[in-house]
Amino acid sequence: MTDFISKVIELFSTGKYMSSMWQGLLVTLEISVAASVIGLLLGTLAALAMISKKGGWMKIPKAVAKIYITVIRGTPMALQLFIMMFVIFAIRGFPEILTAILAFGINSGAYVAENIRAGILSVDIGQTEAGRALGLNSSTTMIRIVIPQAVKNVIPALGNELIALIKETSIVSMIGMYDLTMAAKVVGSGNNMASYVVPMSVAALFYLAMVYLLTFGIKKLEKRLRSGDRS
Amino acid sequence: MIEVKNIYKNFGSNSVLRGVSCEIRDGECVSIIGPSGSGKSTLLRCMNLLEEPTWGEVWMGGKLLTPVDPYLHPDVIRASRTFRALSGSMEEADAIRKIKAEDLLREKRAAEGKDYLAVMKRIYEENHQDIDVSRQKMGMVFQHFNIFPHLSVTENITLAPVLLGKMTKEEASERADELLARVGLSDKKDTKPNMLSGGQKQRLAIVRALAMEPEVMLFDEPTSALDPEMVGEVLEVIRDLVKGGMTSVIVTHEMGFAREVSDRVLFVDGGVIAEEGAPSELFDHPQNPRAAEFLSKVLR
Repeated sequence: MTDFISKVIELFSTGKYMSSMWQGLLVTLEISVAASVIGLLLGTLAALAMISKKGGWMKIPKAVAKIYITVIRGTPMALQLFIMMFVIFAIRGFPEILTAILAFGINSGAYVAENIRAGILSVDIGQTEAGRALGLNSSTTMIRIVIPQAVKNVIPALGNELIALIKETSIVSMIGMYDLTMAAKVVGSGNNMASYVVPMSVAALFYLAMVYLLTFGIKKLEKRLRSGDRS
Repeated sequence: MIEVKNIYKNFGSNSVLRGVSCEIRDGECVSIIGPSGSGKSTLLRCMNLLEEPTWGEVWMGGKLLTPVDPYLHPDVIRASRTFRALSGSMEEADAIRKIKAEDLLREKRAAEGKDYLAVMKRIYEENHQDIDVSRQKMGMVFQHFNIFPHLSVTENITLAPVLLGKMTKEEASERADELLARVGLSDKKDTKPNMLSGGQKQRLAIVRALAMEPEVMLFDEPTSALDPEMVGEVLEVIRDLVKGGMTSVIVTHEMGFAREVSDRVLFVDGGVIAEEGAPSELFDHPQNPRAAEFLSKVLR
């Protein structure tokens, strides 16, 4: 046990180990943040396409959204990442971090779309009817009446999705990218730490801290949105 | 004001309205009564197209809200191929009657030829008004209030007039103050709606509709979801409105109220208007056996 603690102290106090870990953490953060932004945008668009009534020109985006969600949710993330990396963006000099961001963003978007769709459907149909009966058109009703109420219902599910996304980014280490998981592996193998257990534990701690902070932020946001109801 | 012409409404294989025609005249108060499931709410909701009639037309203020129903326009029937094929062998009037009775046009619109489609299009373009524009002139009050919970009481009222460019924000909130005072909710203007009782919510819903300065008000069972002690305060507001000359259509189970305020009562049963007349006639001397049976049950 004392050995483990002294190893932890050694890792934290050795500049080259720590800079490796920080570098990995930064890559993980970059992918997570950028991918979640893309995921939210794509997911919102796909959700809106999905809830549109059949008929008219919206038929096409709706069909596209359906295929997108089905394919992405029906295939493994690792495979999607490989396809992006080795097939679609197998262009020399194309930055691999961008490929990873796109792969995770597109993946996350499909799940976000389902969350948002469920959130919008959770708002009582009477709200839409009241808006329409006042003479508001369908998009104004959606933007001013339905979506503000849906947001509250969607936040917890979106929080789960972001948490899953952060942790799932660790599979970029499978294609040799230097994220937090890869950093732990590298620090653990090529040094005198004699085992993986210390860097792996530290990496776990970092993931845990990120997820904890995110959970905390979401709780706060949720509380604020809900308290608005009761004042 | 509102004219409903031979509307049918099917939900899947369930036909809720089966050929309803009625007219709501300016300044008139019409109550719609009938057993539950008779189609009375659906009829009201067809008036502002919250339900789109499967067949038939709805007109408001001389404007067509629905698509053109060919059977309501002899011109359209005469332009059809089916009519031309028939009119060789029979009188024109008989051919039209046969087409209507046997529903010969509805299956294949395009097959009726270019002329047919052109006449339909002309009638539509001459008379049609966008539903969002029409709805601004028709206030609607729902059974479950449908107040916007994320907005304050005042914002509930000002949202639509401001977004639709009818009033500036200042004008709208002044108007909201007036309206809230009228229904005794002045002290609630800055609160969130979930602090209100059912009766207060419904009064708010009524003035929210009034803020658009509608020409007609549609009430869909406005007191059915209220606790008994709150029914009175809501009926009071509606009564004042009707007395002030607001054209109103009220779907209700409050027979005493319907009798008191209405100029005319429609008894709907099985998806048709089974009887209509002045309240004193219909309530005291119902002609239709179903109406008599219904009233004997509810007026006990």
